Amino acid sequence: MDPAIVFRDLQWRYEHRKNFALKGINLEIGKNDFIGVVGPNEHGKTTLVSAISGLIPHSYNGIYKGSIEVFGKKVFDSDALELATNVGIVFSDPESQFTAMTVEEELAFGLENMGFELAKIRERIEWAAEITLIQDLLDKSPYDISGGQKQRVAIACVLAMDPPIIIMDEPTSMIDPLGKNLIFEILRRLKEASEHTLIVVEHNVEQLAPLADKMLLMYEGLVDRYLPTKEFFADPSYLQARGVLAPESTEFVQWLIAEKALPASIDLPLDLAGGIEATHQALQRRSSS
Amino acid sequence: MNSEAARVSTTGRTAKARKTLLGYVPMESPFYAFHPATRLILFIFLGVIPLFIFIPEVNIFLLLINLALLRWGKVDVQRLKIYMPIIFTVAIFMFTVVILAPGRDPSYTPLEVLGITVFYQPVFFTFAAYWRLIAMLFGTILYFSTNRERELLVGLRALRLPFVASYVVGLSIRAAGMFMEDFRIIREAEQARGLDTKAMRFSDQVKLYMMYLIPLFSIALRRANEISNALFARGYTLTGRTSTGQPRQDYIRSTYSYSKRDFVAIVVMVVVFVATGLAQIFFDIFAIEHSPLNILLRQALEIPS
Amino acid sequence: MENVWQLEEGEVRKPGIVHVVMLALFTGIGIVVGTFGSLAIPIGFVSAFWPGQAVQSIGSIWFGWWGGIAAGLFPLISNSLSGSAPLPVSIAYLPANLLQGMVAGWAFRRFKTDPSLPTGKEWWVFILWGALIPNAIGAAWGTTMLVAFGLITQAAQFVSFLGWFIGNTIPTIVLGGLVLKFVSPLVVRSKAFCKGYWA
Repeated sequence: MDPAIVFRDLQWRYEHRKNFALKGINLEIGKNDFIGVVGPNEHGKTTLVSAISGLIPHSYNGIYKGSIEVFGKKVFDSDALELATNVGIVFSDPESQFTAMTVEEELAFGLENMGFELAKIRERIEWAAEITLIQDLLDKSPYDISGGQKQRVAIACVLAMDPPIIIMDEPTSMIDPLGKNLIFEILRRLKEASEHTLIVVEHNVEQLAPLADKMLLMYEGLVDRYLPTKEFFADPSYLQARGVLAPESTEFVQWLIAEKALPASIDLPLDLAGGIEATHQALQRRSSS
Repeated sequence: MNSEAARVSTTGRTAKARKTLLGYVPMESPFYAFHPATRLILFIFLGVIPLFIFIPEVNIFLLLINLALLRWGKVDVQRLKIYMPIIFTVAIFMFTVVILAPGRDPSYTPLEVLGITVFYQPVFFTFAAYWRLIAMLFGTILYFSTNRERELLVGLRALRLPFVASYVVGLSIRAAGMFMEDFRIIREAEQARGLDTKAMRFSDQVKLYMMYLIPLFSIALRRANEISNALFARGYTLTGRTSTGQPRQDYIRSTYSYSKRDFVAIVVMVVVFVATGLAQIFFDIFAIEHSPLNILLRQALEIPS
Repeated sequence: MENVWQLEEGEVRKPGIVHVVMLALFTGIGIVVGTFGSLAIPIGFVSAFWPGQAVQSIGSIWFGWWGGIAAGLFPLISNSLSGSAPLPVSIAYLPANLLQGMVAGWAFRRFKTDPSLPTGKEWWVFILWGALIPNAIGAAWGTTMLVAFGLITQAAQFVSFLGWFIGNTIPTIVLGGLVLKFVSPLVVRSKAFCKGYWA
């Protein structure tokens, strides 16, 4: 299957900065994959996803070398409309994404830009509102709702446009814990539907890792590691040196392996349920030995 | 409960109001049965028609109509208190200036009032101008007390304002709200660090408010980048081109529809407006000389017409 | 110090969405500042303290004619919100408001004046072209419109002119000067900043 996104030695330097933020990215992202992007701050995560969405170079000034192709077409040669049709992006600050007076208008805006008929706009708004549980917020101002609600509205706006690639750049960074859970629940549903390529930049590895097919580590402007999730977390000390912590259940099981309580061949868990199962196994081994 | 709603008590009954940037609007109002375009036309009608009318009694009557419409529209008139200072200061300013600097015209009739010489004609002219202004002002107050920002935009687009222009107006209004919110946050942060503005001299307060603008302008710069990124990400183009090639639909406008009452209201307003304009331009019907009060006062003071 | 108005070799600047957005945001700032000013110390149709004109000048200095358009647009809304002028009068003020904004933008580009006002010379350019001249134009036009609409008498025009002129000029010099001094270094590095009149 052709990849959805292909980077070919992409380099980018922002105007007024001395160093390149992206120093030569070579990467392929498959269709309908769920990619988790992690890494320390200021190492190129947001720049990477901005380059996929076309904000770089169309919305920022700087030096651009190399290329990215989305479904075979170069981002550099695409315009805002083409890019928005293929790539949706949710930013970390929900409020910076709103320009309309009500949530309903906000949802309709992207669909109007695409030129859909009124009936289709209505249908998409209802669908997106249902998935993100914002049906009773439609008549409200997007500025008078909570942080978690705002972010769900932002996600709904992107879902309504139904682009094949959805990017979320730290979608839970400004939200309370309950709100975070709701966002990840939406991500889980999208993953299950398997109709979109999802790229999520997050520091919350605990909730990201169980969902991601692959994890990508951005470090000093380069793709340091890009592996299926369990392989990605196989070497926690390497990741820790680069500012990334593995999920606690993974670390705990790795400790059990190091203590010989579990065999090294065991499947590393990525979530609490997996960690509990592994602990049971360890206890059974111990009681039977 | 709607977080925007505020409970407002008026004469023993409890009414709900919704906060908008433009003020407070009632949660329910008979005005909402009219299309936003009709309400915008009413705004233009009430705001412009006093310009043709120099008879103060007629403008006072228009003002009473405005007040009646405010009442009918379930607007909480207590909230209109913020306009009181300007209503009074305008009167003070206008009458003070006309008393101190009435101008020179041999036809002016001097009158002695409490030891001060005033001239009848400019004072009555000022009296008529004042009520004209207040009638226009209350037309504006009526509109902004019964319409949310969304209805303003729908009204403008229904009257064929290009999308880009209506988008700019909407974003401006939204920006004003964000700006005020940022201002409130900065003030709260300063107060949390012990700043007591009430204890400051007026000149220091003015300086303080002016200094707030520096971080607020910086925030505006950041917002411009963010919003333009958001517009780009949603596929907005200044040309209005769409990805399907079809014309851009106006979804929010489609949720409003005209009814018979809208057509009746618009026709009535247009007819009255045109009739008033023609009556004044060609026949001077609403000239100040035709004011019954003017006629009465002239007779009482024995001023020749 | 390099001249901020100078285009670098190979530099291409085009009007874009960011300029339209900045126009809207600046209009929003003007709405708030203008409404506050009109309600602060009203003396009838004029205010003894209207910092809105500072926003008009600053807008066109930084953003060229986008700021000029904002200068014309925001008083329409702020006057309505504050009740200081009915809609037809605000519309009649429009040419003056546009000029009040644009004069400063023209002068700073014409005389290649650094908007961060580093020396006394730049301050004088701002005081003359950013405050005195625009407010003289605005006050003259505005009071003429008030007379034309029959809202003030001819005899009251001069007093109104003085109130308008002084009430605008002093806050413009103080507020506008401070904002230009401290915020211009940020603005000139932003993509919304206009070296020309439209980009």
